[in-house]
Amino acid sequence: MIKRPRRLRLRGEDGFTLVELLIAMIVLTIGILALVAAYTSAYAALNRATRVSSARMVADAQMERFRAIQYSAIALGTTSGSCGSSCSTDSTYTSDSAYSSTAQVTSTTCASTTSTCLPTQTKTGPDNKSYRLDTYVAYTCVSGTLSVSPSLTCSTGPQPVKRVTVVVRSSSLTAPVRESSTFTTFPGS
Amino acid sequence: MGPIARARLPRRLRARVAAECGFTLVELIVAMVILTIVVASLSAVLVSATHSAVDANNRFQAQEQARTGLTQLVRELHCAGQVPSATNPNALPITDTAGNALTPGTAYNAVTVQLSSACATAGGVTPYVTWCTSASALKTGDYALFRVTSTTSRPTCSSTGKVKWADYLQTSTPFCLPSTTVSCGSPPVFKPSGSLPMLHVVMPVNLKGPSSTVDSYNVVDDIVLRNGAHS
Repeated sequence: MIKRPRRLRLRGEDGFTLVELLIAMIVLTIGILALVAAYTSAYAALNRATRVSSARMVADAQMERFRAIQYSAIALGTTSGSCGSSCSTDSTYTSDSAYSSTAQVTSTTCASTTSTCLPTQTKTGPDNKSYRLDTYVAYTCVSGTLSVSPSLTCSTGPQPVKRVTVVVRSSSLTAPVRESSTFTTFPGS
Repeated sequence: MGPIARARLPRRLRARVAAECGFTLVELIVAMVILTIVVASLSAVLVSATHSAVDANNRFQAQEQARTGLTQLVRELHCAGQVPSATNPNALPITDTAGNALTPGTAYNAVTVQLSSACATAGGVTPYVTWCTSASALKTGDYALFRVTSTTSRPTCSSTGKVKWADYLQTSTPFCLPSTTVSCGSPPVFKPSGSLPMLHVVMPVNLKGPSSTVDSYNVVDDIVLRNGAHS
C-alpha cells in the first residue's frame, strides 16, 4: 500500500528530458505568439477604421460640393462633352445599383477640373491613400414612378428631383462607402 | 530521500535510484541560457508590438479628434447666418475675430460666426463662436484647434473658456475663403462660378512632426456657407 506510490514517485523523479523541455518551450512560444497576434489584429482593425473614415471624408467632401452649386448645374459630363476621356465610365461604374442609363442627368459642358460633373475620378484621402470616387446623378421621384419619355414626369406627387449618389471604392475597403442625397429646385437656386 | 528509506528498497530499484541523478549544474545552466534567449527574443517582439499598438492608437485618436472637430465646424458653418444690413446686403455669415469680412485667398488662424438660437450647437442663445488655433500644449511647434463662445462680443483664442477640439495640427492658419479668381490651398481650390460661398479648411494632423509621411493625416474640406448667396 505504501510501496506502490513511493515506487511510482521514485521512478518519476527523472528530472526533465530534452524533449519535455522542448515541448514546454513550444507551448510557451505558442502562448506568446497568440498575444502578438492579438496586437496584430488590433492594429489591422485600427487601420481598417482609418480607411473607412477616410473614404467617408472623401464622400462627404464630394457631397458638399453639390450643396454649393445650383440645381441646374447638378449633372454629369458625358463622353461627348468637354471633359473628353475623363468622363468615360467602366463596368464597375455601370454595374452599381445607383446607375441608371435612362434617368441619368447629363450635361454637355463639363470641365475636367470640376469634381461634381466627373462620373469617375481618383481622389487622395486624408490618409494619403488613393480612393476611386464614383458619382451618380439620376432623376427620381419622391412618390410614384418616373417616366422619362416623352417628358420627364412622375406618375404621382411632385416633379422629379435629382438624386446624387457618391460611392467611394478602394481595394483596402471591405465594402464601398456610399452616401446619397436628393436635391430639389427652389426659388433662388 | 533519506538513507533509511533508501535501505528499505529492493536492490534493483536502489541501483536505479542511484543512477537517477537528474541534471548536472552545467546542463541546467545551458537549458536556462537557451530558455532565456528564446524568452528574450519573444519578449522583444511583444514589446515592439505593444509600442506599435500604442502608437497606432495615439495616431487614430488624433485623427479622430480632427474629424470630430471638422464635423462640429461643418455643422456650425452650415447653420451660421447673418442678417444682411443695408450697407452690406451680401454679408457672409463668417468673419474674422474683429468682425471684418475675410479677404479671399488669405489663410486665417481664426474665424467667427454668429449662430441663431435655433442652431443645435447654440445652446438656446445667439452666441458668437470663434474657431481658432493656438500653440499645442502637447508638442512644441504644433497647433491645437479651439472653439470659444461668447454672447457679448466676438471672442478670440486668448479669451477664457476655450475648448480644445483637435491637436497636433501642422498649420496655424487652417481657414481660407476662395473666390472665383483667388484660390486657396494646394492643389488650388477656386469657388465655382454661381455657387454658394465656401470656406476651405486644411488641418494636417501629424504626431511625429511634418517630416514623417507615414503619420501624416490631412483633413481637408470645402465647407459650404449655406446661408450665403449664389454668386
